[in-house]
Amino acid sequence: MRATLLAGSAVLWLVLLLGLAGPFLPYDVVTAVDPEAIGLAPSLDHWLGTDHLGRDVAWRLLMAPGAFVGPGLLAVAVATTLGVTAGALTGFVGGVLASTIRYLSTVTASIPRFVLVLLVMTIYGSEGWLLGVAAGVAWAPALAEAVHQRIEVLTRAEFVLAARAHGIGSARILLFHLLWVNGRRMVGRQALLLFGYLLVLETTLSYLGGFGVPEPEPSWGNMLAFEFGQHTANPWGLWAPAIAIWVTVLATGIVSEVFAEREHA
Amino acid sequence: MPDRLLLAGLEIRAGERVLVRDGGFRVDAGEVVALVGASGSGKTLSARAVLGLPGPQPGVVAARCSVEANREVHEPWSGVSEAFATGRLARFRREVEARFRAIRGRIVGYLPQDARGALDPLWTVRRQVEEALALGRTPGRATDWLARSGFRDPASILPLYPHQLSGGMAQRVAIALALARGSRFLLADEPTSGLDPTVQAGILEEIRATSAEGVGILLITHDLRQVHRVAHRVVFMDTGRVVETLDAADMDRARSPEARALLASTARIAWRAFA
Repeated sequence: MRATLLAGSAVLWLVLLLGLAGPFLPYDVVTAVDPEAIGLAPSLDHWLGTDHLGRDVAWRLLMAPGAFVGPGLLAVAVATTLGVTAGALTGFVGGVLASTIRYLSTVTASIPRFVLVLLVMTIYGSEGWLLGVAAGVAWAPALAEAVHQRIEVLTRAEFVLAARAHGIGSARILLFHLLWVNGRRMVGRQALLLFGYLLVLETTLSYLGGFGVPEPEPSWGNMLAFEFGQHTANPWGLWAPAIAIWVTVLATGIVSEVFAEREHA
Repeated sequence: MPDRLLLAGLEIRAGERVLVRDGGFRVDAGEVVALVGASGSGKTLSARAVLGLPGPQPGVVAARCSVEANREVHEPWSGVSEAFATGRLARFRREVEARFRAIRGRIVGYLPQDARGALDPLWTVRRQVEEALALGRTPGRATDWLARSGFRDPASILPLYPHQLSGGMAQRVAIALALARGSRFLLADEPTSGLDPTVQAGILEEIRATSAEGVGILLITHDLRQVHRVAHRVVFMDTGRVVETLDAADMDRARSPEARALLASTARIAWRAFA
């Protein structure tokens, strides 16, 4: 348990760091086309070999997180801000404002997430920050609903009554006892799942082309698409990004599970 | 001026149903007053009314409630029934809430029936006691207050979560919280329900000791043996009304038929137990 958690969080931290370090990685090396080295198998010069344009697969693999880490963090920020605020208001306060928020949230939730994101990007362009905001907005209703239910149940709990009887004000009960002490792990779990979702979303868009990261910028998605059907001597051009996606999504799952367990411990 | 808590003329209605009519009680400093009655007789509702839980809302009105402690006089319910009558309660509500907040915990503490449920489930005992200390600006460490409510090894309790406490321990922690908060009165809602007799005796002893330090305690119970054991005075409630109030020593001489019925049922159970 401990080992898997360590491995999971190590992967996530590594991906996060790589994503943020993107601008400092040698862009020229990552995009350099070398007609002399097409589809080479792994060697000391190219640890994961080269793709069918002769570009170094390992470097591209390392630079690719830049395509989704920024949007992912942005999506998490947008979704938590919107979702937690909406959920807390509707769960704790009630009234006309709460009903309006719940109505808007239901309307948003009724559009499939992928369609919503695709729609936004079709209309406004395929920028990374737009992807993050769109995914954040698309995910917010789910988070709002989860927070709403948690808060609504807890508000009726005996310990909230006891806290009131102790003279603790509503603001402190909501913000501190309900959201921070009793809700932060759940929100953290949702944020991680959203991050994993955004990774898949970004790679899907890049794989499909048109909306994702344009060549020659690397993304695990466009790396897959680029090498697919190219029968070179280097299978790693295809396998490396696929494994990277799989491992990272698995890591978000593992770490979010730990959040869930801590919550029920 | 000695501390004093008075609630009178309490009326609670839910739609057409009258839950409490002309309810109330008086608790003086250092006194244990037992509030006795069958389930559903309005004991808990009456106690919570002192703290405004639930506060003023359609159907809930207390004619008179005065809490005197720390050289302050609080009358949280004053003017509420008039505001109801004239329909100006909405604007008034914020002010009433502020009045209740001035007494909640600071002067009157509440021990809910389910002590374990009354503790924040995801917080250690240490943090809960420390929060109470911070709220009451009370000096001392968490362990001092746990020791005061009867823990022999308070340091071992600090890192525990509520689900790791037994019912009796949770009740003691709840008492420690109220005392650490600095409450001058305690409204104890069946603090011994669901506990075994030995633990019950320990909690009752704690209540007696707390009252000996000058804290006024309202002990809600339906166990008349507890009244004999710790209470100074007893208030009988039946179907939302206060039917009789007398000294605990004179309890067996209660005259109202409802109180007599309660006494008789307990006597019958006791007789069967020993027969």
